[in-house]
Amino acid sequence: MRILAPLRHSSEVASLLEAGADEFFCGLTPPGWTARFGSAWANRRAPQSAGVPDLADFVRIVDQAGDRPVYVALNAPYYPDGAVAMLSAFGVELLERGAAGLIVADMDLLLALTESGLGAKVHLSSLATCINAGSAKFYRDLGIGRIILPRHLTLKEIEQILIPGLEFEAFLLNDGCVFEEGLCATTHAAGAFCNLDGAGTEGISGETLERYDFWKWTLNHSGCRTGNGYPMGPCGLCAIPRLLATGIASFKVVGREASLPRKAASVRIAAQALRLAKQGADPLVIRQSVVALRGSPQMCEERHLCYYPDLWERKKTAC
Amino acid sequence: MEYGIHVHDANPLPPDARDVCEASWRTMLPPGPLRAIYFGSEFCADLLPGRTEVRRYCSQASSLNVDAVLLTPIASPGGLARIRKLLAGIADIEPAPAVVFNDWGVASLLRDVFPHFPRRAGRLMNRGLRDPRLMEQAPASFSPEGDRGRRLRALLAGLGVGALETDADIEGTFLGDGAEGLQRVLYLPYAFAASSRNCLVKAEEAESIDQCFTRGLDLPCKGPCRGRWHRVDRPDTALPLWRAGNTVFFEVPQCRAEALIRQADRIVLQARPAP
Repeated sequence: MRILAPLRHSSEVASLLEAGADEFFCGLTPPGWTARFGSAWANRRAPQSAGVPDLADFVRIVDQAGDRPVYVALNAPYYPDGAVAMLSAFGVELLERGAAGLIVADMDLLLALTESGLGAKVHLSSLATCINAGSAKFYRDLGIGRIILPRHLTLKEIEQILIPGLEFEAFLLNDGCVFEEGLCATTHAAGAFCNLDGAGTEGISGETLERYDFWKWTLNHSGCRTGNGYPMGPCGLCAIPRLLATGIASFKVVGREASLPRKAASVRIAAQALRLAKQGADPLVIRQSVVALRGSPQMCEERHLCYYPDLWERKKTAC
Repeated sequence: MEYGIHVHDANPLPPDARDVCEASWRTMLPPGPLRAIYFGSEFCADLLPGRTEVRRYCSQASSLNVDAVLLTPIASPGGLARIRKLLAGIADIEPAPAVVFNDWGVASLLRDVFPHFPRRAGRLMNRGLRDPRLMEQAPASFSPEGDRGRRLRALLAGLGVGALETDADIEGTFLGDGAEGLQRVLYLPYAFAASSRNCLVKAEEAESIDQCFTRGLDLPCKGPCRGRWHRVDRPDTALPLWRAGNTVFFEVPQCRAEALIRQADRIVLQARPAP
């Protein structure tokens, strides 16, 4: 029952703790990586805009986080020749310096870490696309500690995926993805491929393409809008009571590269929703509290922002 | 070199497998016999064939004296249940079709419950970069002796999997040098760029936006994408792109394909992009 917050610098820790973060994740590029592997990203985000600058700052993050765990993403979907050896050694060093776990997607890196006896410290990235209980069991048998569920699952499906002997983490706030992240074989280093998807597709009606563009706009924080300072992107806050009942251990607030005000606002509203849920509030009460802070009730009432829209009954009105 | 053909109906196949491709590919591909027909879906459980269709494909393969290969997708809980039901319904077919898995849950199901089906690891097990915007800048040659995918291949071989399949990625070394004893399979001429459960073609059937994309995940799909593929024009790549169902495909540059073919034992030819 923890709020997992993103960060990219030690200067962010205090504000995020104050906002209600229970645990942290960040990205860090190994020393010497760029000289050997060029511009390939080690953890799915640009090191300049989303990464912790260096190991020294990572150690400061761990110190300032105190007893709150800090996880490090080494979660590129694949790595070039030679990278797994470097990253597995780097992973060991990160754990020795206080990382509580490593977020991994690439199967070779995952196997290298489990062969080194570090499986329990591995969190399976959402990029590995574990979306059924049989797959979860496979990874449990490899000895990993946590599975991060991908974004595009219904609550009913999540309930069918969770198995004993593993922690599960679910997306809670921010940063949608048009495609299944683990099945998107493109790179944001060349610009988000999905930005131009839809337009230019022959034989798809204009109405459908318009709906597609609107949906993509909501995934992209409704055109980067905020409501009273709170992000207007994908949101699963009302689903917390159901996810808690299912057994989700950690709720992910996404956005390592975001500004500190956005991160802090996201964690604050997430922590408030979790607090209400722990007090027994139902989804409607949580939604009302979210709308009171964020505004834009229509976006909630019409399920435009929902990570888990099956929480609410579908309306029959045409749009 | 040997060939497989990805089929979508039981129509007669050409005597030369390469004839399912356009002329430029026919002349580029090396000669070789047809050894397998592939059917099913790697991207969407709603497109899986029924048991009657599978029997028809298996019968066709048997009459051609080639292998029958069932493609299965990455699977939600409902998709996994559907695959389990299908496998149970075709478990008596002799010889058993091989099954391509693209999901560890499906792989485990095959190993634990249906061990008599020969197993093959599908192209979604390779999460390598296939960005069409970068494909033309990819190196024209590469060494298959690197360590990329080595542990995965060893794991697969240890689990009794017989083959590793992929389409054309940029790194180009996923299939390795064959040391693990896995048959190495390359899909041509189309590679996938991105796939999603939030299907644009499924959304065409929706009555309102409240049934589309994320909000339509819990709704059944009638498969309006069957037999349809849509040309996609983008300003950021000159490669030919298509959307077929929930997936965006591109045609692999032939210079890239030539380099990859040297690592493959089998080529699976696709007459058209299909999810």
